[in-house]
Amino acid sequence: MRSLLRLALPLTLWLACFSAVYGLAGLLCSSRWSPVADDTTRLTLLALAAMAAVVLQAGLVLALRSPRWQDPDTTLRRASLVLAVAALVSTIWTLLPPLLTTHSCDTGEQAHLPEIR
Amino acid sequence: MHPAGPAAATIATLWWVLLAGATAIFLFVAGLIVLAWRRAPGKSDERVFVVGLGLAFPLVVLAALLAYGLFIGERLLPRAGPDVVTVQAEARQWAWRFGYADAPGRVTEGVLHIPAGRPVDVAITTADVIHAFWVPRLAGKLDAVPGRVNVLRIEAGSPGRYEGLGSEYNGPGYRDHRFTVVAHDPAGWDRFLQDETP
Amino acid sequence: MNTLQRHRALSRIWASDSGWKRWFTTVNHTDLGRMFLAVAVLFFIIGGILAMLIRAQLASPRSAFIGPEHYNQIFTMHGTIMMFLFAIPLFEGLAVYLLPKLLGTRDLAFPRLTAFGFWCYVFGGSMMIFSLLAGMAPDSGWFMYPPLSSTIAAQGINSDFWLIGITFVEISAISAAVEICVTILRYRAVGMSLSRMPIFAWYALVTAVMILTGFPPLILGSILLELERAFDMPFFQVAAGGDALLWQHLFWLFGHPEVYIIFLPAAGAISTILPVMARTRLMGYGWIVAAAVSLGVLSFGLWVHHMFTTGIPHMGLAFFSAASTLVAVPTAVQLFAWIGTLWQGRPDMRLPMLWLLAFFATFVIGGLTGVMVAIVPFDWQAHDTYFIVAHLHYVLVGGFVFPMLAALYYWLPHFVGRKTYFNLGNTAFWLVFTGFHGTFLLLHWAGLLGMRRRIDSYAPGQGWELINLFASVSSFVMAIGFALVLIDVVVNAAVAVRGSRDPWHAGTLEWAMPTPPAPYNFASIPTVASRDPLYDTPDLPVRIARGEGYLGDCARERRETLCVDVATGAPRHITVFPGNTALPALMSAVTGLFFLGMLVKAYWLVPLSALGVICCAMVWVWSLSPKQAEGALHAGHGLALTTAAEVADPPGWWGSLFLLLADGTFFGSLLFGYAFLWTIAPNWPPPAYVEAGLWPLLCLGAGAVLTLAGARVATLSGSALEATGLLALGAGATLILARAPDPTAHAYDATIWVLMGYALVHVLIALLMTGVLSMRRLASHPAVTTTGAARIVRLWSDYAVAVALITFAAAALPGVLA
Repeated sequence: MRSLLRLALPLTLWLACFSAVYGLAGLLCSSRWSPVADDTTRLTLLALAAMAAVVLQAGLVLALRSPRWQDPDTTLRRASLVLAVAALVSTIWTLLPPLLTTHSCDTGEQAHLPEIR
Repeated sequence: MHPAGPAAATIATLWWVLLAGATAIFLFVAGLIVLAWRRAPGKSDERVFVVGLGLAFPLVVLAALLAYGLFIGERLLPRAGPDVVTVQAEARQWAWRFGYADAPGRVTEGVLHIPAGRPVDVAITTADVIHAFWVPRLAGKLDAVPGRVNVLRIEAGSPGRYEGLGSEYNGPGYRDHRFTVVAHDPAGWDRFLQDETP
Repeated sequence: MNTLQRHRALSRIWASDSGWKRWFTTVNHTDLGRMFLAVAVLFFIIGGILAMLIRAQLASPRSAFIGPEHYNQIFTMHGTIMMFLFAIPLFEGLAVYLLPKLLGTRDLAFPRLTAFGFWCYVFGGSMMIFSLLAGMAPDSGWFMYPPLSSTIAAQGINSDFWLIGITFVEISAISAAVEICVTILRYRAVGMSLSRMPIFAWYALVTAVMILTGFPPLILGSILLELERAFDMPFFQVAAGGDALLWQHLFWLFGHPEVYIIFLPAAGAISTILPVMARTRLMGYGWIVAAAVSLGVLSFGLWVHHMFTTGIPHMGLAFFSAASTLVAVPTAVQLFAWIGTLWQGRPDMRLPMLWLLAFFATFVIGGLTGVMVAIVPFDWQAHDTYFIVAHLHYVLVGGFVFPMLAALYYWLPHFVGRKTYFNLGNTAFWLVFTGFHGTFLLLHWAGLLGMRRRIDSYAPGQGWELINLFASVSSFVMAIGFALVLIDVVVNAAVAVRGSRDPWHAGTLEWAMPTPPAPYNFASIPTVASRDPLYDTPDLPVRIARGEGYLGDCARERRETLCVDVATGAPRHITVFPGNTALPALMSAVTGLFFLGMLVKAYWLVPLSALGVICCAMVWVWSLSPKQAEGALHAGHGLALTTAAEVADPPGWWGSLFLLLADGTFFGSLLFGYAFLWTIAPNWPPPAYVEAGLWPLLCLGAGAVLTLAGARVATLSGSALEATGLLALGAGATLILARAPDPTAHAYDATIWVLMGYALVHVLIALLMTGVLSMRRLASHPAVTTTGAARIVRLWSDYAVAVALITFAAAALPGVLA
C-alpha cells in the first residue's frame, strides 16, 4: 500500500494545491466574502499561495529521493520520482498562467444595464 | 469562418495556425508509424521516444500555444473605452429581446442593432433556462445563465446584416432560436437611436 | 491425483448451476464477464440504431423524418446509452472477465458483488430502454443542464428516468471498481510484485480508482436534482438561493474524468496487444505506469474546460486552459512509447494490429483537436457546434471503440477457444474505418461554419448540405461494417475449428490455461518471476495443470484462492469463496424496487424496499461468516496459511476502504457544493441560519466519544457502548433538522437536510454493522474469526463519527460567521 501511496501522493498534492489556489481566487473575487478589494493585493496573495505549493512539491521530490522514504523496488522508485517531478512541473505550469492574466475577477468592466422590461 | 469583425478574425487566424500545426504533427506521427514497418528491427532508444518525443516535444509546443491563446483571450475581453456601446440581450424560450443603453426604453425583438466599426458590449441575461449568445461572423459565444449577467465584446467591421444564434441547447424550439444583428453606419445608428426606422 | 482428475474435481467445485437457473445464480467471473460484455454490446447496437436515426434526419435540409420532440429524446439517449450503458460496462465486463486470468488467480475478490453489480446494470439499463420505447425518454441532452432538465422546463417524467436510472446503473460501476481495486492489490499469482504486474492491471487499477472518485459527484448531482424535482428543494433554482452552474461543476467534475475512465482501459488493451503484435516487449513500462497515474489525477483538474463559455473570469479559465494542455503530455508519453515499441519489434499486419493502426490515425486527430479546444478563444467559437461533436467522436471511437475491437479480435480465441476462420473481419475493418472518417472528418468544418450541435434540422443554403449528406451516407457504411463485425464474431463462436492454446504467442498468464477457460481458471496458483511469465517459463501451463503451484490439492471441497501481499506478492492467506446463489440477483431486484418507487412517486415502496435491501444484506453477510476457527491450513509447497476470516485485514476490510474512498468523495463533493452556493450563488444569505444550540452539541459530543470508545472494545459491552453512541449522534442530527423545518425555503435549508440525511444514513449503516457483529458475538463465534469483522465495523463507525462532526460544523458555521 505504501508503494501505491508514493505513486499517488505527488499528483494528488498537485490537485489539492490547484483546487486550493483556484478556490482562493474564487473566494477573493466573491463580492460577499472578500476582505480584499484591489487587484494587486489579490494577485500577491495568489502568488504567495502558488509559491507555497511549489515549495511543497519540491520538498516531496527530495523526500522521495531520500533513502528513508524511497521505494525499495527500482521500477516503482523511478516511477514515483517521475511522478513527483511531473507534479512539480504541473504546479508551475498550471499556477503561472493565471498570475499573468489581468482582470482577475470580472469578465470585464461591469456594464450598467439598460432596462428592457 | 468568414469573419466580419476583429474578434472573429483573430479567432480565425488562431484556427489556421492550429490547423497547420496539427496537420504537421499528424503527418510526423504517421510517418514514424510507417517507418516502423520499413526499418530493420532492432533496439530503439527509450530516451528518444519517451523523454524526447513524449515529454520535451509536447511541452515546448504546448507552452507556446498556451501563451498565444491566453494573450489572444486577454485581447478579446471587454475593456472600458471611450466609444464602447452597451446593449442588453435577454434570451428566453425561444426568442431574444434587446435593450440599448443609449436609447433607454427602446426594446427590439429578434433584431439587435449596433453601430459598425465600434466595440459593442452585450450584457447577456436569461428569463428562464440557460441559453448562449453567438454571432458566428463577429465573435465567440457566451452563455446566458440564470441570475447572472455575462458581458461579451463584439464588433462588426462594416455595416450589414449578420446571423445570430442561440447556441446552447434549450428544448424543442432550439432550431429556430435565432436573431439578426444589423450593423449601421454612423448616420443609420443615430437614426436608430432617435427612434426612426432605419 | 493426476491432471484430469484434478480438472474434474475443480470443475465440479467451481461449476455454475446447469439449465436456466445458471443465468441467475452464477457468481463466476468468466460467466459474468461474458454476460456483461454481451449486454454492453446489445446497448451499443441500440445506441447505434439511434445514431442512424440522427444521421437519417440530418441527411438533407428541412427533413421532416422526425419531429423535435422525438429527435431530442433520440440524441439524449444516444449519448446516455453510449456513455453509461456501453462504454463503462464494456470496460467492467472486460476487466471482470480478464483480470483474474491476467493476475493468475481464480476469481474476483467479491464474486457475489460482481453478480449484484451486473443485475443492477441490467435492471437500470432496462428502465432507460423502457422510457425510450414508451416515448418518455430524457430529452434535455446527455448532460442534463438544469433549469432545462428541472421542473421549470421539464415537467414530465423524462428527466426522472435519467436521474434515477443512471444512478441505479452507477451502483454497478462503483461495485465493479471496488472489486477491481481489491482484486488487483490482493489476488495475484505468488511472486507477482507490483512492478511485475501485467500493464493492463495498472491501467485497470487507475481506472477503478478514478471511477471511485469520479462517479460520486455525478451521483450527488443526480440526487440533488431529483430532490429538487420531486420535493422542490431548490439546489439549482437561482430565485431561492440555488445556482444552475452548480450542476455544471458537479457534472463535469465527473464528466471529464469519465473521458479518461473510458480511454485508460483502451490504452491498457493497446499496451498489452501492441507488443505481442510487434513480437517484442513493451517499451518504458515504468514510464507508462507513471503516465497512466498522471492522466488519472490530472483529469480531475480539467472540468471547467467544458464551461469556458459560462462567463467564468478569464483568470479562472487560465487555470483550466493550462491544465487542459498539460494533460496532452502523458498521452504523448504513451503514444511515443507505443511507437517506440513498434520500432524495436517486427510488427505484423494481423487484424488486431489493423484496428490499432485505426486507433493511432483517429485518436491522434482527436487529441490534436482536443488541444485546439483547450485554447480558450478557439473554444469560444467552436463550443456547442459540430466541431465538438466531431472531436468527441474522434476521441471516443478512436480512443475506445477501435482499441476495444482490437481487443475483441485479440481475445476472441480466448473467449471461444476457436481459430479465427473467415476474412470477414478485414472487410468489416475497412468499412468501419472509412465510414467513420467519412462521417466525422468534414463535420469539423460544418461546425466552424456555424452548424450547432443538437439542432433537429437546418435550412438549405448555409454551405453544409453536402457535408451532411456525405456524413450520413458514410455513417451507414460504418453501420454495415459494425454489422459485419457482429456476424463475423457470431460465426466464429459457432462454427470455427478448435484453436491452439496461445495463438498469438503472448507472454501473459491468461494464455496459460486451456481455452475456453475452465470455471476455476488455474488448476493451481502459479509462481511468477517476471512480467511475461510465459516467455521466461514456457512450460508454466503444464506445471499449473499438474498442480505444481499452490492450492492444487482440492481436498477441502470448496472454492479457494490465495491472497498475497500488496507490494511483493508473497502469499498471505487463503480466501474461501461463496458458492452459486440467487441472492445478488434478488437483492438488486429489491434495489430496483427502491428506485422504481422513487420514479413513479409510489413513496410507500421506498422504505419497504430499503428494508428489503437491508434484510438481503444481513443474509449476505451472515451466510459467509464462519462459525468455527480452522487455524492454519495446508496451501501447497509446505506452506500453512489461515483463511481470510481469521486475519486482521480480510478482503472485506480492503473493500470497505475503497468504498469509503468513494463515499468520502461523495461527501467532499457535497461540501464543495455547499461552499460554492455559499460564496458564489446569487440570492444569498438565506432568511435565517440554523443555530447549533446546547442539546444537539451535547448529543454530538457524547455520541462521538461513546462510539469511538465502544468500537475499540472487543466485547459485547463494547458493541452496546458503540450503539448507544451512534444513537446519540442520530438524535443530534435529528435535532438540527428540527431547527431547519422547511427544506423548500432556500437552498441553504435544503443543503442542511441533505447534510443531516447523509449523517443519519451513515449512523444507520454503522448501527446495522454493530448489530451484526453483536449477533455474531452472542452466537459465540470464536473471537479469532471476528477480529477482522470488528475492524471493518470500526472503520465505518469512525467514518460515521467524522461525518457527524463535519456536518454539524458545516451546518453551524455560516450562522456563527454571520
